[in-house]
Amino acid sequence: MFDDVSDIIIQIRNLSKIYGDGVEIKALDAIDLDIKRGEFIAIVGPSGSGKSTLLHQIGILDTPTSGTILLKGIDITKMSDKQRSKMRNEELGFIFQYHHLLPDFNALENVMMPLLIKGTKRSKAKKMAFELLKEVGLEDRINHRTHQLSGGQNQRVAIARALVNKPSIVIGDEPTGNLDTKKSDSIYELLRRLNKEYNQTFILVTHDERMAAKTDRIIRIVDGKIAEDSKNRKDF
Amino acid sequence: MYELFIAVRHLTSRRRQTIFSVLAVGLAVMMLMWSQAMMVGFTDEMYSKTVDSTMPHVTVEPQEDEDYIHLYRNLIRNINEIDGVVSISPILTGTATFEYKGKNKNVVMQGIRVEDHDSVMYINDNIIDGNFRDLEISPNSVVVGDALAEKLDVEIGDTIDASFPEANPTNLKVVGIYDSRTPMDETLAFTSLSTVQDFLGVSDVVTTILVRGDDRERAQAISGKIDALGYPASSWKETNPEIIQTLKMESTSNTITLGLIIIIASFGIVSTLFMVVMEKTKEIGMLMAMGVSRRSILIIFVMESGILGLLGALIGVMLGAMFAIYMGSYNYGFEVMAGISTIPFVVRIQDAVIIVLFTFLLNLIAGIYPASRASKLKPVEAIGRD
Ligand SMILES: Nc1ncnc2c1ncn2[C@@H]1O[C@H](COP(=O)(O)OP(=O)(O)O)[C@@H](O)[C@H]1O
Ligand SMILES: [Mg+2]
Repeated sequence: MFDDVSDIIIQIRNLSKIYGDGVEIKALDAIDLDIKRGEFIAIVGPSGSGKSTLLHQIGILDTPTSGTILLKGIDITKMSDKQRSKMRNEELGFIFQYHHLLPDFNALENVMMPLLIKGTKRSKAKKMAFELLKEVGLEDRINHRTHQLSGGQNQRVAIARALVNKPSIVIGDEPTGNLDTKKSDSIYELLRRLNKEYNQTFILVTHDERMAAKTDRIIRIVDGKIAEDSKNRKDF
Repeated sequence: MYELFIAVRHLTSRRRQTIFSVLAVGLAVMMLMWSQAMMVGFTDEMYSKTVDSTMPHVTVEPQEDEDYIHLYRNLIRNINEIDGVVSISPILTGTATFEYKGKNKNVVMQGIRVEDHDSVMYINDNIIDGNFRDLEISPNSVVVGDALAEKLDVEIGDTIDASFPEANPTNLKVVGIYDSRTPMDETLAFTSLSTVQDFLGVSDVVTTILVRGDDRERAQAISGKIDALGYPASSWKETNPEIIQTLKMESTSNTITLGLIIIIASFGIVSTLFMVVMEKTKEIGMLMAMGVSRRSILIIFVMESGILGLLGALIGVMLGAMFAIYMGSYNYGFEVMAGISTIPFVVRIQDAVIIVLFTFLLNLIAGIYPASRASKLKPVEAIGRD
């Protein structure tokens, strides 16, 4: 089976990220990676191996030391701040371990925010955000603020917010890391269902081997390098 | 405009800090508004006590190389055509020695048309005995100041001998005594125009024409138009430059002091905003991750500063105006200024508008620094590592 090149949504070439002044830490070391539309990927590896760093690079939250990243064929390292912001808003959805909701806004407003930033009309944004909150089972919690919601509820709001703009790529850094197994499973089911429904690409960093095993592709990172890619295993 | 939505929400969720910042600016603005109203009222009162009641708005003099204005009736007709002119008084000034029962005194004798002169200089208001009108009814009559009357020891009905080298000596009957509460009371005597003309032995001429306009601020324009008629004219601002100078200086130093207070209050907003930026570092990162550009982050925080400044300015201006109006309407029961028992506050819309705009702009500018710090955060650092 050959990869259809037009299907590649993320193309990473020779990507390195070096931290530190004085003592240099090579967090990413000449990474090459292709990811296709609709893939559901787990990134695993020991702590400090560079998983978060890679995710931040894909999410245009940081700039690389060298190398290129093409998102939908566009080199993000050559973009202006305005273009990067637009890309983050329209093509990317973020889910982090510690749910990162805006504390001054309630659940509905948090989910509406990416739409408002995009320029969607308030009434429409409200409707779309409500639909999504309903889908994650929080229609009766829309007026609650982050401190009034449990960890699992917060995480579901964060997921709704990450998905509301129908991004082509959703990245998550241990999205279920602080939840118990039961809650973690239900979140996983939710993400998997959305992935199938909308053909969105999911890239999730996880410690949870059980969860990783349920994905399409596992990428193991060690010392800033790709040590193992389950896709290659199948190919051999 | 989601930036405004976020800015407003930041302010409403930090209610205590917001109220504190607004009050700090509001207090400073209130003081500025209040003192501005007092300054304007005080200045107004000063002008109406001096310019409006004791000075002609415009003084017209003879043409160069002439001692008199010969065709003054013609000139008066032309001046009357000028926009804003309300009243005109031709006068002939001469010097005389007054003598009564062995006492004598050199005086300035002004020949006037009583009706006209009163309409420019309000002399009737100062009369304390007798009547100005008698100057025109009985020939060879005089109105003297109370200090002069005392010096010569004359009363209504007494007859003074007036003389001067090269003048025609004459007798003047005292028909009135005035008190202007100025040094003039000792040296200035009024007679009819024809009396001075006869005394000096001149034809129907005058030395000066005094003009009053409907607004003292129009004096310059009127004097310019009279200049154009060929007669040198000067407004009260030119004849009394010291009045303007003192009032200007006082109000300028006052404004500078209070402007500084507003700047200090705005510094308070800047430091609060810095705290907010630090507090919200993580949220700024989240907003960036959601697609808020650096420019929009800048806008959000500048807006917050601007909103605080605008609210403070509006509240301050309103409170300041209210205090001024209240204190201005209060009767203190004793003289707070010469002749009045209220403080003459004047609240002007234009002052309020300027103060609000100044404060608003100042806070917008002051907000740029913390806002640009917020906008320069790196999203990944702002989010922090989990
Ligand atoms: N902002 C930073 N400054 C300096 N070193 C960093 C920074 N972020 C990450 N690192 C280092 O880079 C390496 C990879 O970190 P990270 O990507 O967070 O690992 P992981 O997510 O796999 O645990 C680690 O050694 C970490 O200490
Ligand atoms: Mg990590």
